[in-house]
Amino acid sequence: MHNIILKVWLSALILFLFGCEAKQSDLIKRVAPNQDPFPSTYQIKSHDPFMIVNTSILDGVGNLLKNTDLLIENGKIKEIGVGLPTKNYRLVNGSNFWVTPGLIDVHSHMGVYPAPGTSNHSDGNEMTSPVTAEVWAEHSVWPGDPQFEKALAGGVTTLLILPGSGNLIGGRGVTLKNVPSITVQGMKFPNAPYSLKMACGENPKRVYGNRNMLPSTRMGNMAGYRKAWIKAKEYKKSWDEYLAEDSEIPLSEKPIRDLRMETLSGVLEGEIKVHNHCYRADEMVQMIDMSKEFGYKISAFHHTVEGYKIAPILAKEGICAVMWADWWGFKQEAYDMVRENIALTDYAGACAIIHSDDAIQVQRLNQEIAKAMSAGNRMGLNISPAHALRWLTSNAARSLGLEEKIGSIEIGKNADIVLWNGDPFSTYTKASKVWIDGTLLYDIDKPDLTRTADFNLGIIAPGEKRP
Amino acid sequence: MKLIFLSLILFSPFFANAESILIRNVNILESTGIEENVSILIKNGIIKSIDSLIFTEATEEIDGTGKTVTAGLFNGKTHIGAVEVGAIDSTVDYHTNNGSITASFKPSESFNPHSTLIPHNRTHGLTQALLVPEAETHMIAGQVAVIELGNTPKVLNDSFGVAIDFTEHGVSIMGGSRSSALAKLRVALDDAKDFSRNRKSALAGEHRAYDLSYADLYALQPVVEGVKPIIVRVHRSVDILSIINLAKEFQLDLILSGVAEGWMVAEQIAESKSSVIMDPIYNLPTAFEHLGARLDNASILHEKGVQLIFTGMGWHNTHSAYLVRQSAGNAVANGLPKTASIAAITSNPAEIFKLNYSGNIREGEVANLVLWSGDPFELTTEAEMVIIAGEKVEMISRSLQLRDRYYESIKSFIENESRGK
Repeated sequence: MHNIILKVWLSALILFLFGCEAKQSDLIKRVAPNQDPFPSTYQIKSHDPFMIVNTSILDGVGNLLKNTDLLIENGKIKEIGVGLPTKNYRLVNGSNFWVTPGLIDVHSHMGVYPAPGTSNHSDGNEMTSPVTAEVWAEHSVWPGDPQFEKALAGGVTTLLILPGSGNLIGGRGVTLKNVPSITVQGMKFPNAPYSLKMACGENPKRVYGNRNMLPSTRMGNMAGYRKAWIKAKEYKKSWDEYLAEDSEIPLSEKPIRDLRMETLSGVLEGEIKVHNHCYRADEMVQMIDMSKEFGYKISAFHHTVEGYKIAPILAKEGICAVMWADWWGFKQEAYDMVRENIALTDYAGACAIIHSDDAIQVQRLNQEIAKAMSAGNRMGLNISPAHALRWLTSNAARSLGLEEKIGSIEIGKNADIVLWNGDPFSTYTKASKVWIDGTLLYDIDKPDLTRTADFNLGIIAPGEKRP
Repeated sequence: MKLIFLSLILFSPFFANAESILIRNVNILESTGIEENVSILIKNGIIKSIDSLIFTEATEEIDGTGKTVTAGLFNGKTHIGAVEVGAIDSTVDYHTNNGSITASFKPSESFNPHSTLIPHNRTHGLTQALLVPEAETHMIAGQVAVIELGNTPKVLNDSFGVAIDFTEHGVSIMGGSRSSALAKLRVALDDAKDFSRNRKSALAGEHRAYDLSYADLYALQPVVEGVKPIIVRVHRSVDILSIINLAKEFQLDLILSGVAEGWMVAEQIAESKSSVIMDPIYNLPTAFEHLGARLDNASILHEKGVQLIFTGMGWHNTHSAYLVRQSAGNAVANGLPKTASIAAITSNPAEIFKLNYSGNIREGEVANLVLWSGDPFELTTEAEMVIIAGEKVEMISRSLQLRDRYYESIKSFIENESRGK
């Protein structure tokens, strides 16, 4: 036994002394680190073209198209129109049904906080340092989380999986297609921009304040972010200078790679989208000033319970506000809830989005926008269902940088489609069929269409419908 | 002058009793059925008549066309009045970390009628609720209260029964095994029986020692005598059976709560005649004790004849306890008849918790009802008028005040923007 250990040590020593590793003085080419070391392996499945006939379409960009046909080919929306020639296409009856784009939840912790919610599964908050920009949510995602398929049954086709809010800068989020897969790479939305989770307010200062370290206050929060951005600017500068020229240089002069700084640098570069958990109006404005101080853009504020208080500012700055319909009171920064938050933010012209942050509500995001719309209409804002659906589709896509691909029923967009068995704003309505890239992944009448999570074997019988 | 006098009549509290409200041509949804296009006359807080046509004049007349009247909503598991902000411990009174207090713990004594949660919930149609203690250091959590959310919020019953937690959480604080928790619960019930028989000598210090304090044994006495129910929170099917058996063994009046896997033992629950407090929206295997959770749990239990009381929606069962109607609506979407679902948030709790109202709309009863802009199970429907215990609720809440304050500034922003263009 000891012999083996000795042998391993010896071979390691030999490698170290005489190995073919480059020497510090060797000249090397200047290359940026690989920005996609965990590439998506998701493939669009081939499918026969099909047509949903004579249906009501809420297109996600504000229109209701009645008695309309929808042609899907090669995973894309090919044609939209009244009385399209049916040719030899497989036809899907759309009358008495409604069609919407696949729903997008831009704030989910499925996979990183999977079910069962036991401590061994608690992988969403790397609370060992207030700034952990180096961690990537995708490395925590358990693709076998049985909650994913429940969200699919609710029409959710795209998810932004974020780290939790225990840290000032919690790490990278990942955009997933809600498809069954053994690996997270098989779910990753190809070429979707990365995102960075940041968090204001009570959570980080509570977590680290309890450990008697920075941040224990809101001013400590601000100092924590700013220190990180100052370092990130320097880091970015050293890499920019290194990559600016073509000449070969000694290995010793290559900047040292730092994963934490690399992610922040990606934000300063404009490559990574900032999704900033922030409840209070005043703190959001502090965050906006800070983003200008360091020259980055905030894609969206999340939770944004006080969004309505600064809705005109959000509109002017072009920052999306990601909100719940009615959550409140679980902490002080969530005390000033108004049910009209989404409607008022939208009314001010800002990009309003609804999110779940919850594996129960992700199954019924259509009901959540129904409540938000109804609250707005009660105060006379006259919001149509076609308009309200943007909060769950095209606006959400925009915050992810995917507005060219998903979030609407428009020609050329990905065929992420939900066929509802009634008005999507009704409590009684359910998703009847859900397609992602033209592949049928959910059918309310065919529980065996896609396989249930491995976890469910032995719990749900084959072919059993378990709503 | 006439206008001033009129507004005095309409808005002065002195004239509130003389108020009469006539809702014309409205639908009624209640546990016994759906009645369409009737008129309801409410006089001095009493439902005077329900008829297809009413010719009497009233101080307030409402066109109810397309609208629905239901009884006021009840939520079967809340912490209303015993919490203001969840994360601020000083505002939280529904559990205690003092392990020497169990059945004698009464959150009703902490009930805060000035809580901002009350106007928020009542303006959206919640009229009565259960205030339930939660277990923290012992599975016997304390005494359940019935509360009313009217303009003068109050406790209707400060001790309806005793709440016990036999979920994974309750078990974790009772030695970490279901068996240890049941053993400790048996000790407590045996002690309570013994105490009620030997109270004098026990208080004189001439009897054996007990596991719980005298105050806790006092509080358990009506339970072991079968006068008050135990309300046991439990999810796993086999655990539900353990509790049903225990209740039989001690001859207890049992109400089950939670019951995510209730459908798996629906017949046994029905046979035990226990009613069930549940959230029909829960369908995730987020704990090993409810791997069987499903959306049609309520409908399966109903089919077997179990009397249901709803809570929810999800963990919003306190700050937004009115969302119990969203849970109820989803129960309908998953197979429960509408009348059974409305019963679970009106007449069933009215009967079980012995309210002064039937939870249906009946002539001669004190009005305790909501006028909805449409189908109350639809979320695009809003509560337009709420009457609690005969008194019309003021449609004001902190949340609405915040809304109105900021609406003005957004409006002027929009006006300036459009002028700029």
